[in-house]
Amino acid sequence: MESLTETLWDVTISGTGLAQSLLALALSRSGKKVLHVDKNKYYGGSEAAFSLQEAQEWVDLVNAESSQMPFEDAQVYIPSDSTETGVGSLSPSRAYTLALSPQLIYSRSQLLPTLVSSKVYRQLEFQAVGSWWVHAHAGGSRDTDADALRGLYRVPSSREDVFADEMITTKSKRTLMRFLRHIGKAQQEDQGPSDAEEEDLSMSFPEYLTSRFQVPEELHEPLLSLSLSQDAPQQTPASFAIPRVKRHLASIGVFGAGFGSLLAKWGGGSEISQVGCRALAVGGGVYVLNTGVQAISKVADLAHLAVELSNGETVTSRHVVGSHWDLPSPSTPDCQKVARSITIVASPLDHLFPVTAEGSPIPSGAVVVFPGSALGQEGDPPVYLLAHSSETGECPLGQSVIYGSVAIPGPRGHTLLESAVEKLVHPARILWSLRYTQLGRASAVDDAAQAVQSSGFAENVFCFPPPSLDLAFDDGLIDLVRAVWRGVMGDEARDEEFLNFDDREEQLVDA
Amino acid sequence: MSDSANASKPSSSVKLVLLGEAAVGKSSLVLRFVNNDFQENKEPTIGAAFLTQKCSLPTRTIKFEIWDTAGQERFASLAPMYYRNAQAALVVYDITKPSSLTKAKHWVAELQRQASPGIVIALVGNKSDLASDNGNGNESNSSGGSGGNPGEPGPDAETTGDAISAGQDGEGNNDAIEGSGENAEEESDEAAARDARKVSTREARTYAEEESLLFFETSAKTGTNVTEVFTAIANAIPESSLKGGRGAGAGTGQTGLGGRAAEDSRVNLGDRATATAKEGCAC
Repeated sequence: MESLTETLWDVTISGTGLAQSLLALALSRSGKKVLHVDKNKYYGGSEAAFSLQEAQEWVDLVNAESSQMPFEDAQVYIPSDSTETGVGSLSPSRAYTLALSPQLIYSRSQLLPTLVSSKVYRQLEFQAVGSWWVHAHAGGSRDTDADALRGLYRVPSSREDVFADEMITTKSKRTLMRFLRHIGKAQQEDQGPSDAEEEDLSMSFPEYLTSRFQVPEELHEPLLSLSLSQDAPQQTPASFAIPRVKRHLASIGVFGAGFGSLLAKWGGGSEISQVGCRALAVGGGVYVLNTGVQAISKVADLAHLAVELSNGETVTSRHVVGSHWDLPSPSTPDCQKVARSITIVASPLDHLFPVTAEGSPIPSGAVVVFPGSALGQEGDPPVYLLAHSSETGECPLGQSVIYGSVAIPGPRGHTLLESAVEKLVHPARILWSLRYTQLGRASAVDDAAQAVQSSGFAENVFCFPPPSLDLAFDDGLIDLVRAVWRGVMGDEARDEEFLNFDDREEQLVDA
Repeated sequence: MSDSANASKPSSSVKLVLLGEAAVGKSSLVLRFVNNDFQENKEPTIGAAFLTQKCSLPTRTIKFEIWDTAGQERFASLAPMYYRNAQAALVVYDITKPSSLTKAKHWVAELQRQASPGIVIALVGNKSDLASDNGNGNESNSSGGSGGNPGEPGPDAETTGDAISAGQDGEGNNDAIEGSGENAEEESDEAAARDARKVSTREARTYAEEESLLFFETSAKTGTNVTEVFTAIANAIPESSLKGGRGAGAGTGQTGLGGRAAEDSRVNLGDRATATAKEGCAC
């Protein structure tokens, strides 16, 4: 095999996060010479998934090299009683696959047709995210319902659910149905440019629900939870929440009754990243871990870039792609910070994963929302907990993993997370937890082509914007990947060929 | 046509990864298994290849998803991605090249350290056609039955091997080539008639027993024992880890036992996703 430095690479990709790995997938049949490096020893970048041991190593890395990664202040907590052996204790390190950036994927996400048309979906396993729960104040009711006793209210997400709901008064049901009908109607009219009457969507979502539909206040938080808004209710504009509630409702039933979003088994984004990288490896791409890009300079008189790697070699490449944390970045991107946590619980928490409709798969995931008012004070953003059962392959049987996120960084955010997790899992024991601050982008990218080329990098260097902090997969990522793919492919780019491949199975492929 | 009989059998996917030094014949083994074909001077695999092949057992059908890694990969960066969530690994060495067994032992150690705890590992000495004793034929005894337990190899090939030397001259042990430093891979058929074996069956089997590995000597060239390796692996995969397609056992090796069947949680993206893609996004 010839040396890295003897090849003129068409593109050098730095980092194996989801964006770079989907690009790797997109280039896997292009015939381009691709060098794919990552400064880390692991795949997945900010979407990586770890065993306990790897998580501890990652914590040390984050704390030693902050500003080199979109993470800060990481810490592992192990309650003193969880190291005891026996039933309900922590299993060996490799029994866990813990995801740094878990995201649910709506059934209507463009990611799914992309994984299908590129034929890699067969290497992935998808599972349902079933119920949405909102933690309500324990109402002191004499309700014998176990969920109510836990303070959990299951958000109705279909008409059938609404009718069956015993918590909502008949009058409230009527207003709710009016709102849901309105949203459903708007969906059908989305086809044309005449989107019904102009609505004022600049007001907050709760205000909108009250003024337009007289939806009673007790239903605001449940409806808001369907939008996955990480801001406090009054800070969530209707223009943000409504399309997302629509997305939620329109996704239900696409892949089967009773659920509208999915998770990828074995650690979500990490698994999708590796599938992308494998596809490029099959297509002849060269992979080098533990090797980053240190400097990029223009080769005089040539349209090539000299790329200095951390292993001391300097390779020649027509294009270089990465993120601010994988390239010698001339500027620091503006990022939002959120507090996140991963908690291993010594209970399967089965009550969170009921089958949501007849004939639907057993959900492996659930969303639990603690409104700001339920934990801290009115006006605080909500805490989101994504619960994963052992079916996800992320923890052993009899345990579960809770991924927490709240848009308040630092100790206060972590206090809220800790308190939410404890409320949710009580009386089950917490075996292990990891807390960290994650940096990323809260809003969608407007212009993908511009976004990947800005930031003062040299020509032919593409830089992905910071990863999305959204709790659902951000379809904008596919636009970003397409924009870079177009840049690398140049005149050869045919949009219909983007991530659209024939079957590669049943044949031996040598690049 | 494969068939009303098979249709009722449960079918499971098993992710299998091939590891081993360059030029030991990893791709050739797979090519023999999948296409029943052999290429004399196969080009080295560049990145890695992905193939599938079904293996029909009495009670179930196993669909192998075979990840063929590139042995010459210099950066050791691909393998971790390949054995991630793999339920089976085929670690290949060349019986004419002792260094390749050393490398194979490294792979076994890495798998035991890093891969899923329940992974089934088969150690395979390839190029048995280059050995005069050619004693590997009856290794298949270990896999012919339904047991195929790791660490339970068949009868000692060295004592009974002479019986099976079809198409070989069977000159008996010939030490002439020993230590000559010639590269056995490039030997012609003529040379193959002499004994190019440098790793004894006994040595490799003892190691395989110690480490609880399945063990076979194969020839991708003649096809000897190739199907048997895959059948033995298929038989050795615990039923419990087959439930949800690949790898329900990655956690503890016992996931799925007594739990909710993973199949019940699987969402099939297949045709449906294609259909919805055309409907367009409603939001």
